[in-house]
Amino acid sequence: MAKAKSNTEDYLRMYTQMVRIRTFEDNANQLYLSAKMPGLTHMYSGEEAVAVGICEALTDADRITSTHRGHGHCVAKGAEFKAMFCELLGKAEGYCRGKGGSMHIADQSHGNLGANAIVGGSMGIATGSALRAKLQGSDDVTVCFFGDGATAQGLLYEVMNMAALWKLPVIYACENNGYSEYTKTEEIAAGSITARAEAFGIEAHQVDGQDVLEVNDLARKLVARARKGEGPFFIELMTYRYHGHHVGDINREYYRSKAEEKEWKDNRDPIIRFRAHLVREGIATEADLDALNAEIEKDAAEAVAYALDAAYPDAAEVDMHVYAA
Amino acid sequence: MREITLSQAVNEAIAEEMRRDPSVFLMGEDVAEAGTPFKVLSGLVEEFGTERVIDTPISEPGFMGMAVGAAMTGARPIVDLMFGDFIFLIMDQLCNQAAKTHYMSGGKLTVPLVLRTNMGATRRSAAQHSQSLQALVAHIPGLKVAMPSSSYEAKGLMKTAIRDNNPVVIFEDKLMYQDKAPVPEEEYLIPFGVANVKREGRDITLIGTSSMVQVAEKAAEILAAEGISAEVIDPRTIVPLDEKTLIESVKKTSRAIVIDEGHQSYGVTAEIASRLNEKAFYHLDAPVLRMGAMDVPVPFSPALEDLTVPTPEQVAANARRLCAGELIHAA
Amino acid sequence: MPHDVTMPQLGMAQDAGKIVSWLKAPGDKVAKGDALFEVETDKATMEVEAQASGFLTHVTAQAGEDVPVGQAIARISESAEEDAPAAAPAPQAADALPEGREITMPQLGMAQDSGVLVGWLVELGAQVGPDDPLFEVETDKATMEVPAGARGWLAATLARKGDEVPVGQAVAVISAEKPESPVAQGMRAQASAPAPKPAPEPVARTDKAAQPAPAPKAAAPVGGRILASPKLRRVALEQGLDLGQLVAAGHPQPYHMRDLETLKALGARPVASTGVASVASLRLEAGIATSDFAAFADWAAKTAGLADADALLAGLAGASFGAPCCIAVERIPARRVFSVPAGRRLSDVTETESAPDLVLRDLRTTRVQAVSMGVEQVPVLTVMQRGAGLSLVLEFSAGQMPPERAIVLLSEFAGRMEDPLRHLL
Repeated sequence: MAKAKSNTEDYLRMYTQMVRIRTFEDNANQLYLSAKMPGLTHMYSGEEAVAVGICEALTDADRITSTHRGHGHCVAKGAEFKAMFCELLGKAEGYCRGKGGSMHIADQSHGNLGANAIVGGSMGIATGSALRAKLQGSDDVTVCFFGDGATAQGLLYEVMNMAALWKLPVIYACENNGYSEYTKTEEIAAGSITARAEAFGIEAHQVDGQDVLEVNDLARKLVARARKGEGPFFIELMTYRYHGHHVGDINREYYRSKAEEKEWKDNRDPIIRFRAHLVREGIATEADLDALNAEIEKDAAEAVAYALDAAYPDAAEVDMHVYAA
Repeated sequence: MREITLSQAVNEAIAEEMRRDPSVFLMGEDVAEAGTPFKVLSGLVEEFGTERVIDTPISEPGFMGMAVGAAMTGARPIVDLMFGDFIFLIMDQLCNQAAKTHYMSGGKLTVPLVLRTNMGATRRSAAQHSQSLQALVAHIPGLKVAMPSSSYEAKGLMKTAIRDNNPVVIFEDKLMYQDKAPVPEEEYLIPFGVANVKREGRDITLIGTSSMVQVAEKAAEILAAEGISAEVIDPRTIVPLDEKTLIESVKKTSRAIVIDEGHQSYGVTAEIASRLNEKAFYHLDAPVLRMGAMDVPVPFSPALEDLTVPTPEQVAANARRLCAGELIHAA
Repeated sequence: MPHDVTMPQLGMAQDAGKIVSWLKAPGDKVAKGDALFEVETDKATMEVEAQASGFLTHVTAQAGEDVPVGQAIARISESAEEDAPAAAPAPQAADALPEGREITMPQLGMAQDSGVLVGWLVELGAQVGPDDPLFEVETDKATMEVPAGARGWLAATLARKGDEVPVGQAVAVISAEKPESPVAQGMRAQASAPAPKPAPEPVARTDKAAQPAPAPKAAAPVGGRILASPKLRRVALEQGLDLGQLVAAGHPQPYHMRDLETLKALGARPVASTGVASVASLRLEAGIATSDFAAFADWAAKTAGLADADALLAGLAGASFGAPCCIAVERIPARRVFSVPAGRRLSDVTETESAPDLVLRDLRTTRVQAVSMGVEQVPVLTVMQRGAGLSLVLEFSAGQMPPERAIVLLSEFAGRMEDPLRHLL
């Protein structure tokens, strides 16, 4: 699908998707802070170029597995605001009829096999999806998103071993945002993360996760090769989460400084960088982009209002969907 | 009717379903050329090739997780877990992922997979290769649990499991693989949640799972010689459980013993006994007894191991006490 | 679009936060991301950023206030002019308090709902700054100084030393102008206690399990709990049988269905208040013009050494009922039970403690002339004096004996009482 478009369209779409993620998260954060959202949630803000750069290289037939910090993947894979906000608020019109919530949004229609609240919990699922593709002679590719913290899970090494043995069309996308929950990654990960994949003979790349074009270029190449049976691949995407581990993790100077956060926000923000690129290259004007932003904010505000008013699931649904027919 | 071993019955069921449905495939440790240590799957790789009979590394969580992903995206994997004891290794993938995906996705995703594994002590394999862990799995909503008691059940339940759209765990008693029983040549399926009344009786109901059905049948014979008429029922699946048949039987006999090889405490026997107490209380003429494996890790020494599992003689003795109206509890 | 500034949820288990200070003043221009105010929770103090750009207006909560999570405390408007005077309903002052900001008892701990005022640290009417310690509070955990939180004059104190003040209740008023007549009061009634935090809207739950039906009351056991199976209890209840009879008859517990026949043989008795239909009472009456029993008893005592007239009565009744059996001779309140063996030897009648098969109720010495008592546990044969003769009434149920047998019993007993010697023939 990407081939059919001009670069302009692709670029504007990538910009739009990144802004949609940021806007979604700003609204979700507000819902949490104003105690309108049950439970808690994990913000993807700051990491937009990772989800968008990769998902823009995928089709609806390609699958992804997502994480507890999964709103970005969900939006990038094509989900709509309304059903997402409804899910966050536990409403019947949510993607999972309010049964999953923030940490379990799945959007089957766009190939999102679901966020997962177990760190590293979806690595088997993603690899299994790729095994199915290979067994059934299907050319779809599965991307497994996970954080640097999940590299500490043994499951990763079991499935990378099998994926490499059987040349499965899976791409392991490690979003290294520098922190494993409340702990610096360097304190929990020995040696090199990419070297771990390389030990299984898996081609591994490290890329600037704040540069959507760089991420997208690499993703397109690897996805195309995975379709031809050259997988699996491993990408370590160097990125940053602007918020704490979760929305309530506000007082976090004990593990990272405000100066560090400011540095990433001011100088490495994926949206600001890409926006400058678009203007510089004459793909869009500041005014165009402002209008785009405003439209997205309006969409989000409408979706939030809709979700706040939407109905909760009927009590009769509580024991529905335990077993499939 | 021809008689085949339980092992052959499982093999036939899988082969028939793999022929019928190309989305069915098998994965696990040493399932291909080795055909598993119990040789249950011998010959399948010759017919279906290594693409569909996949030998995995010794990575239980890994291949279990992959089965979940494959099932979610359109395949029907059968996972072979070499020993039931290894279920502890795959708990996250089975209970947090497979069991909950359909519910958490609001019914949009399904996980049609079969986990076939085994149970049963007295094989002198000690504490980490002898457990009967069906209660652990049966506790988790979203999983179905089948416990075949003979070759006939093993084949019919396996075929139903493969066609079911949910994760199904099948526990085969590893001591029964060579036991023969009549199995028809023609195709049949055994529906889940339908108990089998193996023997009709008047005085007491003996409910057994898996190999404990045989124990119950032997006990019934001992009792018959003494004039006590025992009814023997095999629930065949413990999730879903055919409560109705069990309750109807107990309403008739007024007494029941539930026998399962899992540890007695917090087990399958407790669950069934509880349901009988709740739903047939005013028909009970004696307390419902549980008979499970002793609450000890399974010991290695034959002299000790044999003490841990219910025997026909123990079942008969308990049945006798119940029928005689002995005061079972401490008043 | 104006944007409400709300007290953010900052921790996993936090439901309110204290505004330490505003970092922007009403009317100030703010940009999204600017630090707007500082909040203190039980864990830490932190800055909260503006979530929108505009002008800070409608500030309704001041530094020092504890605000429930989610409550609006200000607005970010499109212009500074929008800052209308706060429309918040002013709490009705009880006794014409000076105007000014109410200072409330702060929440100082996670599970604290009041604080004891240790003392005022500012003199009434004196000038205070927001950071000046205003009063000292003691909670279960500690004693601490509470800053005024506002600038002005201490115009009123609403609690005295030693008062225990609920969290959120006003303890002082700080006025912007120097008060003319400062007010000092003791603690007033809890008028301005904070509204309870609204509970999150619960999803309706249907209780799928049927409400358990009220359990039918079992017949009261004779002397403590009877050990019996649930099934036997149910069947006994349905058939109007009393398990207590098994106890009374000395059968060993526990009881099971195998004991049902024994229980039935002991006879039925309607179980009160169980809803079981009462058993139909049958009644037969007989009369004799004269009775030689008294003379017979005298004779038996003198010639045969049978001095116990009750035993004789029991013997005659037992023979009529069908020996062997147990007959109770009841002369209220006394009651003696006799075992009547087969055969006619009255000397073999002995006292027993077994349950009776028939009660002989001797009312000859009373003035009772007619009875209709209904069915009891066993058939009751009542004997009453009528002139020189006797009136005899047999009450029983069909379950206890067939009517034919009752007729024979009553006829035979009447004959024996008329002429006891017939018994010996």
